[in-house]
Amino acid sequence: MPRILSALLALAWLAWLGGEALGAEGDKLRYLTSIYLDAKGGGMRQPEGLACNDTSLVVADTGKGRLLRYTLEDREVKPAGELVAPQLAAPLRVQTTSQGEVFVLDGKARRIVRFGAKGEPLGYLTPEGVPGPTSLVPRSFKIDRNDAIYLLDVFSARVLVLGADGTYQRHVPFPGAYGFFSDLAVDGRGTIYLLDSLRATLWAAAKDAREFSARGNPLRAHASFPTSIAVDRRGVLWVTDENGSGVVLVAQDGSVLGRQLAMGWTEGLLDTPGQLCLNDKGLVFIADRANNRVQVFAIVR
Amino acid sequence: MTARARWTTLGLALLALLGAAQAQGQNKFRLKLGAEGRVCFDCHPDFQDKLKNTFVHTPVKTGTCVACHSPHASSHGKLLAAPTSAICTTCHASVVGAKAVSAHKVVVEGGCVTCHDPHASNNKALLLKPGDDLCTSCHKALGDAVARVKFKHRPVSQGCLGCHDPHGSDKSVRLLKAAVPALCVGCHKPDSPSFARRHANYPVARADCTSCHDPHGSNTAGILFDTVHAPVAAGRCAQCHNAATAPEPLATRRAGFELCRGCHGTMLNEVFAKARVHWPLVDRTGCLNCHEAHASRQKKLVNVEETRLCGRCHRDTTDYQARLAEKARREQTASKVKVEKGAITHDPVRAGSCSTCHSPHASDSVRLLRSASIIDGCGACHDWLKHNSHPMGEKVTDLRNRNRSVDCLSCHRAHGTGYRYLTTFPTATDLCVQCHKQLRR
Repeated sequence: MPRILSALLALAWLAWLGGEALGAEGDKLRYLTSIYLDAKGGGMRQPEGLACNDTSLVVADTGKGRLLRYTLEDREVKPAGELVAPQLAAPLRVQTTSQGEVFVLDGKARRIVRFGAKGEPLGYLTPEGVPGPTSLVPRSFKIDRNDAIYLLDVFSARVLVLGADGTYQRHVPFPGAYGFFSDLAVDGRGTIYLLDSLRATLWAAAKDAREFSARGNPLRAHASFPTSIAVDRRGVLWVTDENGSGVVLVAQDGSVLGRQLAMGWTEGLLDTPGQLCLNDKGLVFIADRANNRVQVFAIVR
Repeated sequence: MTARARWTTLGLALLALLGAAQAQGQNKFRLKLGAEGRVCFDCHPDFQDKLKNTFVHTPVKTGTCVACHSPHASSHGKLLAAPTSAICTTCHASVVGAKAVSAHKVVVEGGCVTCHDPHASNNKALLLKPGDDLCTSCHKALGDAVARVKFKHRPVSQGCLGCHDPHGSDKSVRLLKAAVPALCVGCHKPDSPSFARRHANYPVARADCTSCHDPHGSNTAGILFDTVHAPVAAGRCAQCHNAATAPEPLATRRAGFELCRGCHGTMLNEVFAKARVHWPLVDRTGCLNCHEAHASRQKKLVNVEETRLCGRCHRDTTDYQARLAEKARREQTASKVKVEKGAITHDPVRAGSCSTCHSPHASDSVRLLRSASIIDGCGACHDWLKHNSHPMGEKVTDLRNRNRSVDCLSCHRAHGTGYRYLTTFPTATDLCVQCHKQLRR
């Protein structure tokens, strides 16, 4: 009897998950608000990266070489100071850990700078025990819910998986033929997704896979030059189209679920978007680079 | 005559009668003798001269004009029985193999008469011109270059067909009769002492010869491409590669940009001092994404001409430019005005001169722009900006977005939009009322 009950529960969970993923096809982004200013009333300049959770948001204000912190309360965004460090010249991608630490990829040093939960600089992330070749150049990175760090190492053509303390755990080599990988994402089951900007294609490697395999057809018809990718808790991939100023939703099997937003200056439109972040409350944050702001949307069906 | 012979003669006569009756039945249109072609010469007497050529197409020789032409009417030019792209392949179907690696574009498009005379010629294979004259009538630039170069490759002088198959190749790209280096080592023996000495004893028998040598000849000794990387010119292969005696002699000493940094350190230090780097520069291929390691036809050792270099990766941009150029062409054709005012494409983008605005290695500006200021960047070419009456600059806020100032990109897009003057809206009114909402009607 308990076995039957477990099986039924598992089936119900799978059906819910499937329904959620299918439901993504009807997802729309409803504009909520835009963030233009820091705590002192100064404007952002070309923000490219951001990280979010249910209570906070960190923005890489790339053009001004700093990080801006915000708190989230009932969909209200309030400035909560800035993070500055000599190592930060051009912050590009941001991630936060479950402990509130902030990790940021600096485009000039091409290294990852760490900040403590209170904003104190903790120096560079130094991967330990990485097998040869020892040279690495991170183009992007992600931190999962267990604080494992996934580095997109374009120099040695691999994804490095590091523990929370930076110790080497494993790596997955890039596939044989590709254009250029700009970003990666990791879903709740540990599947790693790679985004090839030049060929507008997605690749995936399951948690224990040793290699990447292509997912679906190229997104060329839906995205001009995709550069950023995020995955929501249902496993739906959110791909940011930098040159096309839009967002493309892709199912786990690589099929396109739809395209959202368009190019423009006014609120609700994008101009050369950068990193995108989703939180568990159904909010979507997009670094709207050329518009010098961060836009906040809600997912509605 | 014996009885047996009589019966045989009678049988043959009966067979002949039957054959004649059947032939009369087939010729239901009561065609004149020679109607398949010989009667054509009655009206086309000049073809008698054609028949005097050394090589005559078999249907012409046998007087079977109807093999290609429809005698009464046709939907195709010259009363051809089928489209020009299909008529030759009805007999010559196998000129390009099913497994062809490469095929001559003109053949694929059915342009056989570009090279062949369908009736007769004094050249073998019914070619319109003898030897390489035919090839260079299309590949003119290459023909000129071959004639001009100081150091010639002997097989080129002996004819293009020494290395290329004019229709298609099952073996290699560029219609080559064999892939490189197999094609090259057919003549150049890699185990000869002089070959080894010239290649600093590196085992290059399986290397890509065309990464250094121009097979059509060049102005550099050894028919190396005209731009040669200094270590190659000096024979210092070990500067980048392992020693010739090492287990992996052709492997490079370092990977990616780290290899180039040994000599180009100053330049790379300047690049890495910028806030934004062109990411391919720091991937595993590094500098070789855009540059050749050994020699190149292009200046600065770039892989291909600048017009195609960036588009190999940024296809979305070049494809869009091609679509815009086509749109401009269509609009101009449909227009009654001699030259439509306002460009749809931006000249540097259309011409592939991306480096006019972008710095290919690194920049402190977003999108690797050479100039931090959009207004200064555009102003480098567009002088009229200096006296534009619309307020522009850092202190002028865009009314649509309080964090943006007004610059050229407030109204135009450098890569085009599909509208004239590269504006973001189709008409001046549409554009202006985006900010000046009070003027909206």
